[in-house]
Amino acid sequence: MDLKEAMKTIGAGWIQRPKGFRVRFERRQGDEWVTDSFPSEGEPLFTSDVMAWELARRFAEAARKEATGEANGEISSITVVDDKGRAVTFYGTDGLLMLNPRVQA
Amino acid sequence: MNAMETELQKLKEVSEMVTLYGPGIVRALIILVVGLVLAKLFLKYSKLILRRLNLKEATLSVVVNVLFILIITLFVAMAAQFLGLKAMVIGRILVAISLVLIGIVVIFRPLIPTLPFKVGHTVKTGDLLGKVEGTTLMNTRIRTFDGKTVFVPHSKVLNDYLINYHLIPNRQIRIDFPIGYPEDLLRAKAVLSEILAKDPRILKAPPARVFVINLNLDGVQLAAWSWVKNDDYWRTRCDLLEKIKLRFDHEGIGFAMPRRLVHMQGASEDCTGSGTGLAE
Repeated sequence: MDLKEAMKTIGAGWIQRPKGFRVRFERRQGDEWVTDSFPSEGEPLFTSDVMAWELARRFAEAARKEATGEANGEISSITVVDDKGRAVTFYGTDGLLMLNPRVQA
Repeated sequence: MNAMETELQKLKEVSEMVTLYGPGIVRALIILVVGLVLAKLFLKYSKLILRRLNLKEATLSVVVNVLFILIITLFVAMAAQFLGLKAMVIGRILVAISLVLIGIVVIFRPLIPTLPFKVGHTVKTGDLLGKVEGTTLMNTRIRTFDGKTVFVPHSKVLNDYLINYHLIPNRQIRIDFPIGYPEDLLRAKAVLSEILAKDPRILKAPPARVFVINLNLDGVQLAAWSWVKNDDYWRTRCDLLEKIKLRFDHEGIGFAMPRRLVHMQGASEDCTGSGTGLAE
């Protein structure tokens, strides 16, 4: 195997390199919960996962049951995903993190 | 009455002149304005095309300026014809003026000092960092990132070194920091490499690198160097610092602290010690 091929194999498999990030969440629609995200399809993705997690945190704060905005109690399961929809680990702990998880009845 | 008649006569003459020459003057002005706009556009696109010929920057500048002068001359000639001047007279005057201007451009242009930036570039001169908002004959107006507007005399710019962050599209982020000697060096390098690899703003070429840059008295000096686009530089750098701090804390990898050996003068031997300076 030549060096170029080896580097290509390493680059493709060593680590998953995202092209961008979005914040995915579930929102109540009547009796059901539907998955949604921002930025939406067609909008440019966040290039910074630090920014994405910060927005996810603020979104979770706004969606708390005790919050006074319109989103209280209607938003749950907030996390950051990459351009392929795969969950991204939180940069501080390198572990998956879900904010405001929905408690199954 | 005589004074009034004289004034009326003058007004009548002016009115006749405007009627006679007015349309010609307006047409000439329109031609000059159109010519100027077309010449500017030509200047812009000809630079792009001529750059592909791999000419030296100075040669390119001379060629483009000469073409610019010729185009302006052509439109001035057209405007002068609309004013009623004879073609031969126009031709002789313009040829003379053009040759003088071209001579000045060819001989003296390379000797005229030019500013090493354009409006919109981010530059650092001395300890002043900001974006160039405009230039006048005497100074350059720079807006710093905290909102100050600074007027820098051209003499200061031309007589001191200046960093222009716009001449190449990418910049290198260099993050160097020490970890303690007892720490897991290989784990630290692996974590750093992972952090750099996962950031989409960090360019694949040239590749990001993590290496031991020095063995200091305080600890093992690690370096994490990567390339990003100019616009992403500050935000990416700040994000990387945050990620490194949090991940290292989570992984239990300690940053090195400055160490000092303290000798107590006049005290007994067992008072001499070393430490991090932190109270235990």
